[in-house]
Amino acid sequence: MRTEAPRRYPVYVPKVPTTWWVRTAPFRRFAAREFTAVFAAAFSAILLLFLLALSRGQEAYEGFLRWLRLPAVIVVSSVIFVALLYHAVTWFRLTAHIQVVRLGGNVVPRRAVVGALLGTWVVVSSLVVYLLVWF
Amino acid sequence: MIAATPDRLSLGEILEDSDAREVRPRPRPGQRRKESRLRQLLRPEPVFWGLFSMGGFVSAMALPASVAIIGIAFAAGWPPDRAFSYERVSSLAQNPIAKLLLLGLVSLPLFHWAHRFRYAVHHQLGVHGMRRPVAVACYGTAIACTALAVWILLRI
Repeated sequence: MRTEAPRRYPVYVPKVPTTWWVRTAPFRRFAAREFTAVFAAAFSAILLLFLLALSRGQEAYEGFLRWLRLPAVIVVSSVIFVALLYHAVTWFRLTAHIQVVRLGGNVVPRRAVVGALLGTWVVVSSLVVYLLVWF
Repeated sequence: MIAATPDRLSLGEILEDSDAREVRPRPRPGQRRKESRLRQLLRPEPVFWGLFSMGGFVSAMALPASVAIIGIAFAAGWPPDRAFSYERVSSLAQNPIAKLLLLGLVSLPLFHWAHRFRYAVHHQLGVHGMRRPVAVACYGTAIACTALAVWILLRI
């Protein structure tokens, strides 16, 4: 039986520079995709503030709506919107890669899966717009 | 030179000018401590991964339309004023189903962010180590915001 402490030994670990993800276009797209999560969280934070204002009565709510109409906030919202669209497209593409759909012994082609997801997206988006504006 | 002294030269010496690092040997299968069934069940990673995945789905499906209406269309004055009146929105938000949907809309994208940001800190920002504090900070933010959202929604 060995009694001495396990020996440490050197292994080859390739040194990756911190900026590896700006080097090539696929890496940049990957980093951009990961970064869209920040914008999703930003919108969640805005929604949380919206609900907080709503829970604090009419005056706070109307103050929040005025803040929402500031030009800077509109610009931020537009950036969030673009980022979330990019997130949606990449998410559907990677879902189609991860989730293989089989139908009667055949594998449904990825394009069809992405198409189905986009169709669902159109339905859900219409439902969200309807609920927020007309319901 | 390497061929001349094959057994004198350690791997470390060969790699001296490269990126050799000292690492602890991995435990061999026999040495590895068996994880108890309960510990396996209580591992947080599958839970957070599931929340991340649900958050990605919600962010992709429901958030673009929401931000288009709340962030852009409302500010530009497109929907009728009545749509965002205090009376309508607060009566809508009192519906328990609406509360549940709003909670999902706030909370799940935050868990999505927490998971991706956690790994971005290590992989893109180049922070090595501190894996546990980073995880606690990211998931903790999402959990805290979820708790805040529950508290707010219960008060509406």
